[in-house]
Amino acid sequence: MKTEKGVKKLHVEDKYCKGCGICVEFCPPKILKKSKKMNSRGYFPPESAEMEKCKMCGMCSLLCPDFAIVVSAE
Amino acid sequence: MKHPMMKYLKETGPCGDRFPTIFCPGCGIGQVLNYTLNAVDHLIAEDGIAPERFVFVSGIGCSARVTSQYLRFDATWSLHGRAPAVATGVLLGRPELKPIIFTGDGDAGAIGGNHFIHACRRNLDLTMICMNNGLYGMTGGQSAPTTERGTPSTTSPYGNVENAFDLCRMAITSGASYVARWTTAHPQQCIQAIESGVRKKGLAFIEIMTQCPTHWKEEPAKMVRNYRAKGVRFSKEKENEPLKKGQFWIGELMDRDQPEWVATYQKIIDRFKKAESKGQRT
Repeated sequence: MKTEKGVKKLHVEDKYCKGCGICVEFCPPKILKKSKKMNSRGYFPPESAEMEKCKMCGMCSLLCPDFAIVVSAE
Repeated sequence: MKHPMMKYLKETGPCGDRFPTIFCPGCGIGQVLNYTLNAVDHLIAEDGIAPERFVFVSGIGCSARVTSQYLRFDATWSLHGRAPAVATGVLLGRPELKPIIFTGDGDAGAIGGNHFIHACRRNLDLTMICMNNGLYGMTGGQSAPTTERGTPSTTSPYGNVENAFDLCRMAITSGASYVARWTTAHPQQCIQAIESGVRKKGLAFIEIMTQCPTHWKEEPAKMVRNYRAKGVRFSKEKENEPLKKGQFWIGELMDRDQPEWVATYQKIIDRFKKAESKGQRT
């Protein structure tokens, strides 16, 4: 989705994620959900299908205990 | 794209990859590390404190694993409960450094209780970040001094019979300059508290209620939500009001200006130097 800042993108480092679900629970616009695809350690990393609703608040990246999730606008 | 705080963390080491971290899924210690690095990032950018001036000291326990294993800063992994003592040495040796202590509730309240009290009493210019999960996490979920009365744990299957410690109240009574308590559900507040703690002259004690999903056997997200619901915002007027079971005060519990150890001692040194240069006997 294009904004004045650029295209909003969700980066999830799949091999760092432990699938705790804190980002899914605390995302203010509630656009994150656990993906169906398992990572190499058997956890389900988050994904988002509606990035146009993202407010770029950075809450997911701040609350992640494993430094696995970043949102950027390019 | 990598996490912005990854620049302060070691991704690989002599024994291979250090990430993903050793912590259990959903552990709050990773979150506290994230908040601390954000605060340190702000301090480096805004106050112009050089990264070499930060020293991270930790004791033993889950909370202590963050320092030397993951941080690119100078760090010490010291004795159990003796992190305040090691940090005291660091500060007195080189007073320009900014020691930050990572400690857990068992580390600060039980094994290192005395060191914690006396670091507060001396009011040294340290920042102490205490991750309180209410049990001994690394050894298997035994009841700690911070476990609430009546809560079952591994060593108290019918409910804990002992009264719990309030570490913040102990820090205030012992003489710490800055005392705050937040939970892992308050990221911005934690970052601001750590920043003001480092800026404050004197001991800053920041207690962060941290979830231990492995031993409390709950969903991590549910635990974080519960912590947000249980925390009651502190104010001076409400201080004497009784709290319900399970609730705790959150916020800046104490912010006062008291004489700091290093500054006080420096005054004595200066007095003697002045007298010496004049050739007087003191």
